[in-house]
Amino acid sequence: MQNNSYMGILKNNLWHNNAIFIQILGICSTLAVTNNLINTSIMTIGVVLVMGFTNLTVSALKSFMPRKVRMIVQTLIISFYVIIVDIILRAYIPDVSRALGPYVGLIITNCIIMGRAEAFAQSNKPLISFWDGITSGTGYMLVLLAIAFFRELLGFGTLFGFKILPESFTSWTIMVMPPSAFFMLAIFIWIAKSIMVKGENK
Amino acid sequence: MNKQSKLYTIIFTFVISFFFVFILAFANEFTKDRISMNNELFEIKAVLYAFGIEYKDNNDAYEKYDREVKIIEINDQKIFFSEVNGENIYAMIFTGNALWGPATGVLALKEDFTRIHGLDFISHNETPGLGGRIEEEWFKEQFKNLKLDNGNIKVVITPREGDTNKDNSLVDSITGATNTSLSIETIVNQSVEKLSSLVEAIKYAE
Repeated sequence: MQNNSYMGILKNNLWHNNAIFIQILGICSTLAVTNNLINTSIMTIGVVLVMGFTNLTVSALKSFMPRKVRMIVQTLIISFYVIIVDIILRAYIPDVSRALGPYVGLIITNCIIMGRAEAFAQSNKPLISFWDGITSGTGYMLVLLAIAFFRELLGFGTLFGFKILPESFTSWTIMVMPPSAFFMLAIFIWIAKSIMVKGENK
Repeated sequence: MNKQSKLYTIIFTFVISFFFVFILAFANEFTKDRISMNNELFEIKAVLYAFGIEYKDNNDAYEKYDREVKIIEINDQKIFFSEVNGENIYAMIFTGNALWGPATGVLALKEDFTRIHGLDFISHNETPGLGGRIEEEWFKEQFKNLKLDNGNIKVVITPREGDTNKDNSLVDSITGATNTSLSIETIVNQSVEKLSSLVEAIKYAE
C-alpha cells in the first residue's frame, strides 16, 4: 500500500491517506479557524511550512537522536519553527499577525505535524521527508479551505472578505459558530469516503 | 558512544536545546526593533483613526501625528488632543477585560462629552473570525459620532449588520460573539467616564 515515490506520496497525502478525512488528525484547528478564508489560508500556509521543515530537520537528525528523548526533541523542533513563523509575521506582516492572534502559537499543538515526524521523517531520508511534510500539509490545507469556503459564504455572505451574496441574503449564524464545522467536516468525510469506496469497487 | 546511554541522552538534549534556543534568541534580537516600531505605528494609526484624521501611508501617519495631535499629561495618564474640523476632540488609550484577555484601544470624545468621536483597537486576544471582528470597519464605524445616552452606549442585536442610527446610542453586537460585544460595551462606558473626568481635570488645571 505504501508507495514511497514522490508521486505516490503526493497522492497518498492529498487523497488516500489525507490527514483530515482519513486519519482524522488536526481536528481542533479544523473546527476553530475555518469561518473565514483569509485566516484559514494564512494559518494553513504556516502549517505547511512548519510541517515541511520539521520533517526535514527530524529526518536529518534522526541518526543522532536517542530513542528516549525522540518525541520531546520533535516537539522542540516543531515549536522552534512555529516561533520563527510567529516572529516573521510579527516583524514583516504585522496586520496578518494581529488577525491570527493566538492561532499561530497553536500550530505547535497540531497533531498532524508530530504524526508525520514520527511516522515518516523518523524512517526516511531528509528530502523525501520534506516533500511528505509539504504534501501532507497541503492535504490539510485543501480540506480546511473547502470547509472555510462554505462557512464564510453562508455565514457572512462573503469570500476572502468580499461581498458575494446579495444584501437580502440572511446569513446563517450557525455557519459562523464552531458547531457548523462539525457538520461541514462530517459531510466532507462522507462525500470523500463515498467517492473512495466507489473507486475501490470498480 | 552508545546513543541510548544516559550521558549521551543528556548531552544530546542539552546541545540541541541550546542550538535551537540560540537561533530563536538571535531572531528575536534581530527583529526586536522592527516589532516595537510596528507596535508604535499601530498605536499612532489607532489614535489617528479615532480622531478621524486620514493618512496616505506610514510616513504620512507619523507626520500627521506629530503635526496635529497634542499630548497632555494629567494624573500620569496621556491624553491626546486635536482640533478636527473646528471641533476640540480628546482621546485616550484604554484597557479593559474583553472575553479572553485584555483589549486596548483608543477612544476619542467630543469636548462636551455628548458624543463619541471615534474608536479603534490596538490589541486584543479575541477569537479570530468571531470576537476578533471588533477590528472590522463596520463595527468601529458604528461608534463614529455616536450619541451617548447619559454617558453610555448599549450593545444590542439588530436585524441588519451594523447600526447606522447615530442618535440612538446603540451598537450592533457581533454575530457569534455576544460576550465580546458586551465586554466592549462595558469597556467603552467605563472609558467614557474616565476620559471625561480627566478632561474635566485638564480644564480645571488650565
